[in-house]
Amino acid sequence: MTLNLCVLTPNRIVWDSEVKEIILSTNSGQIGVLPNHAPIATAVDIGILRIRFNDQWLTMALMGGFARIGNNEITVLVNDAEKSSDIDPQEAQQTLEIAEAGLRKAESKRQTIEANLALRRARTRVEVLNVIS
Amino acid sequence: MSCSNLTMWVSSSKPSFPDTSSLSSGSFINPFRAPSHNSTVVSPSRSSSVAPIHCGLRELRERIDSVKNTQKITEAMKLVAAAKVRRAQEAVVNGRPFSETLVEVLYNINEQLQTEDIDVPLIKVRPVKKVALVVVTGDRGLCGGFNNYVIKKAERRIAELKGLGVEYTIISVGKKGNSYFIRRPYIPVDRFIEGSTLPTAKEAQAIADDVFSLFVSEEVDKVELLYTKFVSLVKSDPVIHTLLPLSPKGEICDINGNCVDAAEDELFRLSTKEGKLTVERDVVRTETVQFSPILQFEQDPVQILDALLPLYLNSQILRALQESLASELAARMSAMSNASDNANELKKNLSTVYNRQRQAKITGEILEIVAGAEALV
Repeated sequence: MTLNLCVLTPNRIVWDSEVKEIILSTNSGQIGVLPNHAPIATAVDIGILRIRFNDQWLTMALMGGFARIGNNEITVLVNDAEKSSDIDPQEAQQTLEIAEAGLRKAESKRQTIEANLALRRARTRVEVLNVIS
Repeated sequence: MSCSNLTMWVSSSKPSFPDTSSLSSGSFINPFRAPSHNSTVVSPSRSSSVAPIHCGLRELRERIDSVKNTQKITEAMKLVAAAKVRRAQEAVVNGRPFSETLVEVLYNINEQLQTEDIDVPLIKVRPVKKVALVVVTGDRGLCGGFNNYVIKKAERRIAELKGLGVEYTIISVGKKGNSYFIRRPYIPVDRFIEGSTLPTAKEAQAIADDVFSLFVSEEVDKVELLYTKFVSLVKSDPVIHTLLPLSPKGEICDINGNCVDAAEDELFRLSTKEGKLTVERDVVRTETVQFSPILQFEQDPVQILDALLPLYLNSQILRALQESLASELAARMSAMSNASDNANELKKNLSTVYNRQRQAKITGEILEIVAGAEALV
C-alpha cells in the first residue's frame, strides 16, 4: 500500500504526493505515520514535519493546524508551511532574535501571547534548518 | 500655462469673443472632475453645447493632446485592473482545496461534539463591553467610491456602537483607511496594517494574531470584520461580519444575525461574453462526506477544535481580504472605463471646437485678403 500526503495552506498546496513515512509534531508529541495507519484526527502544533520521500528525509516547518489520517491518505491543514530548502538561514536567525527580544519587552498579557507565538514560529524555522537526519 | 494670455492673442483678431478664459482654464486643470462639482465649474465633457469652449487654437491643441494622454493612462489602468482581477480570482481558486477540506472536517467534528459540553476560548460568548472593528480598505485611490463606502460604513457602525454605549477600537487594514484614521485622532485605533498587492496567508495571519490576542486576553468581547463583498464587476457591497466569537457550527453571522453557511462557497469567475468582460458566480456546495466511524481523536476533541478554529478564522480573514481586493480592482476597472469614455467624449468635443475655430480663422484671413485686394483695385 502507498501512503499519500497532502499539505494544504490557505493559499496553495505545498505538498501532494506519495511518501514512505512521515513524522508529525502533534499537540501531544511527535507521531510517526507509516502506511496502513489507524484513522485518526489530530491537532498539529507549531513544529517540524519530517517526510521520508525516495529514501531521503525532508523537513518542513508547520505553523500549527490540523491533520487527518485515514485510508492511507494524510491531509494536513496548516496556516503556513515552509520547506527547509525555502528558508533563508540568516533571515530565520534574525527573526528568532527579534522574536526573543519581543518576548523580553512584552508587558501586558496580550503582548505576551503574541510574542510567545512569534517566538515559537521563529524557533521552528531555525530548528528545521538544523535537523540532523 | 496661462490661458488668458492666449485668449487675448486670439481675441485681438476676433473682438467679439466673450472673455470666459477663467472658466475654461479652470476646467482645463482637471478634465475628469466628478459630476458633483459641476455646480461651480462647468464640466467640458458634458456641457460643451451649453457653455461653448472658448480657447485659443494652440491651447485647444494642447488640451486635446493632454486629454489623449490621460485617456491612454486610464485605458492602461483599466486593462491592468482587469488582469489583476483575474489574478485575484486565481488566488481564490488556489485556496479552495484548503477551505473545502477545512469546512468538511469542521462539520464532522462539530457533529461529534454536539453532545459534549465544550469550552473553547474562541467560541465563548461574553457580554459585549468593547468591540474591535477590522476595517479593510484598499491601498490606492482612483477606484471610484470604493474606499469611501467602506469608511462611511465604518463611521456609521462607530456611531451605532457609541449609541449603544459600547466601547470600540479599530484595526485598520490598507493604506487608505490608515491615512483616514491617522487624520482623526479621536478614533481609537489599535493597529495599522498595510495591505499588499495580493493578500497572502501571512497577512491574514497578522490580522488573525492581533484579533486573537485581543479576544483571548478579554480586551474586546466581539470582533467584527468590515470589508467589501464582491458581488459582480459593477456591484460590491460593504458588509459587516462577526468574526469572533466563532460559532462552533462553522457559521458566521452578519450583523443582523443572518447566518452564512460555510459549506456554501461562492466562486467568481471572470470570463468574456460577446467580447465584454463579465463575471460568473458559481455556488459550490461542498459535499460533506461522512467520516469513517472508527476515526479516533488523538487529543481531546476540544483541543482539536482549538486547533481548527484559528485556521478557520484565518481562512475567513483571507477570504475577506481577497474579496476586498477583487472589489477594489473591479471598482477601479469601472472608474477607469468611465474616465476613458469621458476622455473620448471630451476629445471629440474639443476637436470639433478646434476645427471650427481653425476654419473661422482661415475664413477670416481669406476675407481680409479679399477685402485688401478689393481695396487695392
